[in-house]
Amino acid sequence: MKVKFFATYRQIANCKDFEIEAPADVLGLLKVLCRRWPEFSNKIVAPDGESLGADAIVLVNGRHIQHLDGVRTSLANGDTVTLLPLVAGG
Amino acid sequence: MAVGNAWIGTVLRVDLTTGTWGTEPLRMKDANDFVGARGLGTKYFCDECDPNVEPLSVENKLIYMTGPLTGTAATSAGRFEVVAKAPLTGTIGAANSGGHFGPELKFAGYDGIIFEGGADHPVYLYINDDRIELRDATHLWGKDVHKTTDMLIEECGNVRVSCIGPTGERGCLFSAIMNEKNRAAGRGGLGAVMGVKNLKAVVVRGTGPVKVARPEGFLRELTKARAIIQAHPVTGTGMAAYGTQILMNILNEVGALPLCNGRGGSIFDHADEISGEKLSETYLVKNQGCFGCSIACGRVTRIPDDSPYAGFGEGPEYEAGWSFGADCQVDDLAAVCKANFICNEYGMDPITLGATIACAMELSEMGAIPESDIGFPLRFGDSDAVVRLTKMCAEGEGFGKLLELGSYRMAEHYGHAELSMSVKKQEMPAYDARAIQGIALEYATSNRGGCHVRGYMIAPEVLGLPIKTDPLVTEGKGSLLKTFQDLTALCDSVGICLFTTFGMGLPEIAGQYREAVGSDESDEDILLKGERIWNLEKRFNMAAGVEKDTLPPRLLREALPSGPAKGKVAELQTMLADYYEVRGWTSEGEPTDEKLEQLSLG
Ligand code: SF4
Repeated sequence: MKVKFFATYRQIANCKDFEIEAPADVLGLLKVLCRRWPEFSNKIVAPDGESLGADAIVLVNGRHIQHLDGVRTSLANGDTVTLLPLVAGG
Repeated sequence: MAVGNAWIGTVLRVDLTTGTWGTEPLRMKDANDFVGARGLGTKYFCDECDPNVEPLSVENKLIYMTGPLTGTAATSAGRFEVVAKAPLTGTIGAANSGGHFGPELKFAGYDGIIFEGGADHPVYLYINDDRIELRDATHLWGKDVHKTTDMLIEECGNVRVSCIGPTGERGCLFSAIMNEKNRAAGRGGLGAVMGVKNLKAVVVRGTGPVKVARPEGFLRELTKARAIIQAHPVTGTGMAAYGTQILMNILNEVGALPLCNGRGGSIFDHADEISGEKLSETYLVKNQGCFGCSIACGRVTRIPDDSPYAGFGEGPEYEAGWSFGADCQVDDLAAVCKANFICNEYGMDPITLGATIACAMELSEMGAIPESDIGFPLRFGDSDAVVRLTKMCAEGEGFGKLLELGSYRMAEHYGHAELSMSVKKQEMPAYDARAIQGIALEYATSNRGGCHVRGYMIAPEVLGLPIKTDPLVTEGKGSLLKTFQDLTALCDSVGICLFTTFGMGLPEIAGQYREAVGSDESDEDILLKGERIWNLEKRFNMAAGVEKDTLPPRLLREALPSGPAKGKVAELQTMLADYYEVRGWTSEGEPTDEKLEQLSLG
C-alpha cells in the first residue's frame, strides 16, 4: 500500500510517499510510522496511544477515517493512506 | 453604542458629478443593527439605491465601509468592505479586502465613503485627515494597479492607495478594486463600477486614533482571542508556513478538485506540482500579514528572470492556484504565478478569469469556439495559452474582449451557457460541489453568486473545523450552513479577517465587539445581526430580480466518474428544502413576513 505525506509531515518523513506492506489497520500503520520517524510520536497518535492525534488528518483512499472506522479502519495492499496536519486556507 | 465607541462617527459623501463632498454623522442605529462594513455598507446601499439600477451606470452607488473593529487592536482587524450592485451578477455586490487601507481611512476620521454619480473626466479622491480633494487622474488613466500606486505615492507621499487597473476602466465584469497593490476587493466586478464613475483611485493618509468603549475589557477579550489564534495549529503556524495553497493536495486527495471546467475526472495527477508545498520550495520569498494580523498568510513570490514567466508579486492563493492550474490542467507553477501576477497588476478576479479560460478550453475542444476567434489552438494543459489569454483579457485584446464578460456570457455567446460553471453568473471556486455537498448548498444560496467565503463549508466538511462532517451526506447541512453564513456576515461586518475563524469563534468575535462598542448584548443577540444582514442581502436580490438558487446542470446530473466521491452529483433539492426551513423562509426561498419582522426588517 501507499502512504502519502503533506505539509509539515512531509518534512518529518523527508519524502512525499512510500510503499509499505499493509498493517492490519490505521492504528497499526501510525505506530509503524512513529517507530520509523519518532518525531511523529506526539503528533499522529494521541497520548493514550490508541487514538488519532488531535491535530492530524488521516484519509484512507480519500475518505477521512472519521467516516470509516476511525483508527480501526482496516487496511489492505492497494490502499492509499494520506497523512497531514490540520491545515486550512480558502 | 455611541460615537467614539470604536466608531469615528463620520461618513464622507462624495458627489462625483458635481465634484463636491461633505461629511455627515454615521447612522448609529444602523451601525448597531447592521454591525459595520459588509452589513452597514449594504444597509446604506439598500436605503439609497434602486435595486433595479443598472450596475454599470453612474446611478449605481459605490460605498467603502469599515467595521467597528477595523483599525483597532482586535485580531486581524484590517478589513473593510466595498459595496455596490455587482456588474457580474446583478446581486448585491459586497467585496472584502485586507491590507492597511481600511484602518487608514478610520485614522483619517471616516467610517466610510459613499460615492455618488460620475465625474466627466478621470479623478482620484485625496484624503489627508480633514483635507479632502478631488484631483485630476487623467495621467493615471490606463496605468496598471502597481504603476498607479507607485505614482500616487510619489505624488502624495505616505498614503494608502485603493485603485482600479485598466480592466476596471474598461468595464471588465470581474475587475477588482485593489489596495496596496495586491490586496483585492475581488469578486463581482466592483472595479468596473469605479471605472464607470471615472474614479481611478482613493488615497488616504490618517493620523487620528480609533477609541474603544471599554479599553480594559477590550484588552482582556483581544488577549484571550489572540492566545487562541496563536495556539491553534492552523492560525498559529500553518497558514504562515504554507499559505492557502496548502489546500491543493488535500482537495485533490478527497476527490474534490474541480477539473477541466467540471468535465474531467476527480483526481489531478500533477496537483503536487502546483501545491503550497511546492510554492514554499520554489518561488516563495517570504510570508506577510495585513494590518494587526499575526496569522500572516500572504505569499510574496518571485519567478526568476530566466523563466518565460519571470515576475515578482504576491500569491497565488489557493483559488487562483486552482483556477489557472488544476481547472485548466496546467501543472507549471511559474505560469500559474504569472497569470496571478497579471490579475493583480491589471485588477482582475483570478477565480472568474481562470474558470472562464477553463470554460473556453472546453468549448474549444468541443469545436464550439472556432480557432479563428481565439487566434490559436486552445486545449487543456497549455500553460502558455493560460498566460497569453490572461494578458489578452488584461489588455482587452481580441478574444480577451469576450473573456472579460466572464464564463456565463462568453459561453452563452457560443450557445452553451450551461457549460459556465457559475451560479448567478459568478464562477464557483475550487471545490467540486458533487464531492462536498455542503459547499453545493453554499454555492447555490450565496447572496453574491458562486462563492465559498459566504459560508466556508470546507472547514467542517474537509478540514474538521470546528467539527468534522461527512461531505458525502446531505443531512444537517442546511442548519450548519445557516450558522456559517450568519457568523461570516458578522465577521465580515465587524471588520476582522474571516481566517481568524479557523481558530476562534463566536465568543471571541462577540467578546471583542461588545467591549469595543460598549454593548451588553449576548453572543446570540450579536449573531442575530449576522442573520439580519443575510436577510437584508437576500431581500435586495429578490427586489433586483436575481435568478433562483440553483447550480449548473452538470453538477446536478453528471456524476463524478471516479475518486472518493465517485457516482455523486450535488443533491441540491433535498438540502435546499432543509435550508429554507431553518432560515424560516418559504419553500420558494423567500423570507417570510414573520422572519423579516423578527429581524426588524419588516
Ligand atoms: S489571515 Fe491573511 S488575509 Fe487575513 S488578515 Fe491575516 S494576512 Fe491578511
